Amino acid sequence: MPSRAGILAARPASRSGASLVRRPLVVAAIGIALLLTALVAGIAAGSVTIAPADTLGILARRLLGLDIAPTWTAAAETIVVDLRLPRVLTAMVVGGGLAVAGAAFQGLLRNPLADPYVLGTASGAALGAAIAVLIPVRALILQFGLLHALAFLGALTAVTVVYRLSRVGASAPMTSLLLTGYAVGSLLAAGLAMAMYLSGTGLRQIFSYLLGGFDASSWIRLAVAAPLIGLASLAILLRARSLNGMLLGEEAAAHLGVDVRRERAILLALASLATAASVAISGLIGFVGLVAPHVVRLLVGPNARLVLPLAALLGASLMVGADLVARLLGEIPVGVVTAVIGAPFFLALLRRAHAGYEL
Amino acid sequence: MIRVDGVTVVYRERAALRDVSVTIEPGERVAIIGPNGAGKSTLLRVIAGLLRPTTGTVELGGNRVDRLERLAVARRLSVVPQLPVLPFATTVEEVVALGRLPHEHPIRGMRPGDRAAVAAAIERVGVGHLLGRDARELSLGERQLVLLAMAVAQDAGVLVLDEPTVHLDLRHQVEVMELLGDLNTRDGTTILAVLHDLGLAAHFFGRLILLDHGRVVADGAPAEVLAPERIREVFGVDPSFVRLGDDRQVRQVPHPSTRATLPT
Amino acid sequence: MATFIRFRARRTATQATHFGGRWRGVPLALALTLVVALAACGGTGSPAPSTAAAPSPTATAAPTAPPTTAPAFPVAISDDEGTVVSIAAEPQRIVSLTPAATEILFAIGAGDRVVAKVEDINPWPPEADGLPVVATYQGVDVEQIVALRADLVIAGGLSFTPPNAVNQLRSLGIPVVVLYAESIDEALAGIRAIGIATGEAAAAADLSTATRTEMDRLAALTAGLDRPTTFYEIDATTDIYTVPADSLYAELLILAGADPITTDASYQISLERLITANPSVILLGDGGYTTAADVASRPGWSGIQAVIDGNIAVVDDALITRPGPRLVDGLRALIRALHPEVLP
Repeated sequence: MPSRAGILAARPASRSGASLVRRPLVVAAIGIALLLTALVAGIAAGSVTIAPADTLGILARRLLGLDIAPTWTAAAETIVVDLRLPRVLTAMVVGGGLAVAGAAFQGLLRNPLADPYVLGTASGAALGAAIAVLIPVRALILQFGLLHALAFLGALTAVTVVYRLSRVGASAPMTSLLLTGYAVGSLLAAGLAMAMYLSGTGLRQIFSYLLGGFDASSWIRLAVAAPLIGLASLAILLRARSLNGMLLGEEAAAHLGVDVRRERAILLALASLATAASVAISGLIGFVGLVAPHVVRLLVGPNARLVLPLAALLGASLMVGADLVARLLGEIPVGVVTAVIGAPFFLALLRRAHAGYEL
Repeated sequence: MIRVDGVTVVYRERAALRDVSVTIEPGERVAIIGPNGAGKSTLLRVIAGLLRPTTGTVELGGNRVDRLERLAVARRLSVVPQLPVLPFATTVEEVVALGRLPHEHPIRGMRPGDRAAVAAAIERVGVGHLLGRDARELSLGERQLVLLAMAVAQDAGVLVLDEPTVHLDLRHQVEVMELLGDLNTRDGTTILAVLHDLGLAAHFFGRLILLDHGRVVADGAPAEVLAPERIREVFGVDPSFVRLGDDRQVRQVPHPSTRATLPT
Repeated sequence: MATFIRFRARRTATQATHFGGRWRGVPLALALTLVVALAACGGTGSPAPSTAAAPSPTATAAPTAPPTTAPAFPVAISDDEGTVVSIAAEPQRIVSLTPAATEILFAIGAGDRVVAKVEDINPWPPEADGLPVVATYQGVDVEQIVALRADLVIAGGLSFTPPNAVNQLRSLGIPVVVLYAESIDEALAGIRAIGIATGEAAAAADLSTATRTEMDRLAALTAGLDRPTTFYEIDATTDIYTVPADSLYAELLILAGADPITTDASYQISLERLITANPSVILLGDGGYTTAADVASRPGWSGIQAVIDGNIAVVDDALITRPGPRLVDGLRALIRALHPEVLP
């Protein structure tokens, strides 16, 4: 009988990076290091130069409660604690949430090209946001405006509609979901185009929402959105077994003991919730939810128990890094940065697949 | 024990199964045979709890299947799937490890016992030489064996297969059949297989259930089920195409599908 | 949308003519003290009047003395979006996020307290040239504004300043007054609002009144004249953009004695409509990159009366659109282009 160590340490001929393969702890360590680096860089950098020592001092004093005599100005403290810190943490939460949602959708739909927006969430959120801009209501509740509320509702409504429409009997087959998602998404996009046409001066606002950004981050928004995204992601993580079961298809999953109808509905709902909350506070930022799970799978295989948490780590790092780049390049939209980095990466992946290496 | 009682399945206004009643005792080795559209796969799916019969009940180990949780069914009954498409690169051992899904810890995953079961299944089925390979790159026969290993790893009392030899060459067909026989005699696993190859069925299975148009037409030893008039009546072919050996060796018989003029 | 201003100053005052600032009353009070003290020295036996004439803003001794002013802060202003903005003390570090606000701040004497401005393609006044730029079309650099310890921000409505930035600054405790003007009255109200917000209410009121007076005078000059059908070109590189019906542009054009071709809130007009309207005068607000010859050479434009007659003039768009102190200059420029005989 081959030893357990022998089986698990076997080098897969078809996976690159042999040294990292099947060593999830190493990948996790690298992921955490990457995230910490991104967080530190994100807090340290910005349009106003603050000495690193001062930044550390501010963090130590405000976050850890250490009694350090301030060598910095009150303005610097405000910038670090009230502007940069919530922004970086929001990027982290959104990046992680989108990555987990993306991994869940990829596993559910058994399609490596799926991303968190595949069932119409993006179009729904965009249309909701555009409608909000057209309505001249400026109320803010807990620093959430009509835009966030309608974006959130739009995303959830779109997914619900797609789910209902693709029901065949009592279940919603995956191919049906994908196609319906595409159709509904196109319809919503047409609605969005119309809203943009009617928007007049609000067009800029709609546009900047579409391209995504973290410049409006605040502690209060983070306090509301983070638990939502975090709990939804955690709930998905705890259902990794069901995602694994789906690997061979729904029938095989049922044979392996997965209550397919229930798990699919629950996982769809959780992933859509995480996605809706993410797009509500940060707009439509693409590629992170698609690329992060992919890269992790290349490194540790398709086991959802490994992919979900590691993708969250990688997604968080990517998003914080992208936001930093966006900020340093003069506040260009984060969605542009992720697209510029993500699209070539994706093309490279596809080319490798074409050359015989399968995704 | 599997008990199917008076099961009728109506699907899209067509009765796929009509009043089917069979009982399969633990440790039996049963092959379900019949022409296309006879309802063989439907019967399997009803037994596995995937399909709810329009009338009748199915019991698994004394419990009604429709009242059991999927996990409970999975611990009692494993199914070798028919070559599903894998969306991501998945190693052979990862595929086999899926068989431990009903047993592993819901959150923590595989325990040492599960890993040992995976290793044992790989060894038992004899796919150890494929370790580390991407399952999508394997030949059809190799993939089928890996899926069989997965079902073995699932360690259920009943092993169900739906046409497991369809993509296999003769050698692999025999390998699989002998493996099933081994699982049955050594481990006492109940085997329930849908087969189209009557020769294999007759040779390796002590009990055949013949379905035609959704009904059980015959149920018993190969010799009596595959009586010549029955073959002519149900399959519509010259019964001389199926030869049952008196000894336990396989006779090469031309597969009906190789004869262009014959219906398959 | 008119600006509604509420005062929450602790003492009532009539501040119409007095220059603002707490400390202006001090020399007066001291003078009064001196007078009273001299009077006290002069008299014997008469009880010295209470020297309540300490520097107290409520001293109202001589009726001929101009009424002393109550402090202008803290104050609460309702901006053009209806948000009530509280300003605790006279701002010393003002950030201007619209070109109009920059002009107004310098015009009312608050220029020395402006610490940063928005990018301006038609910069004015020259004194503002050295100020750091904290906002461009790309967005607002909130970090810089915080680093500059701003205590008042004047922002542009109708999403000129991104609402996210406005909300963020407000959440950090920095008062932000959002203004926009779609008419002359609104522009003047905006000037007065900035005056109150910065403690230069009197100067702002003066500027507002003077502007109104001069505009009325100029309008009277053109009142009885023939009104040529006028097309004001904002841009025509792809689609044609002209003035909406209820806009500052249109109002000024009418005051200048024109009959402007107007469109809806989208600012767009089709070439067909333009040709049908057949303006006799074309004013180029995009004169920076368009010449009369360019206009004449456009396909389909050659039949327009203004092109035939060569009545195409360039006007400084900034003067006309900026709801600031140079609005009068804008009106003058329009009148010179439309009825040159009226203005010397």
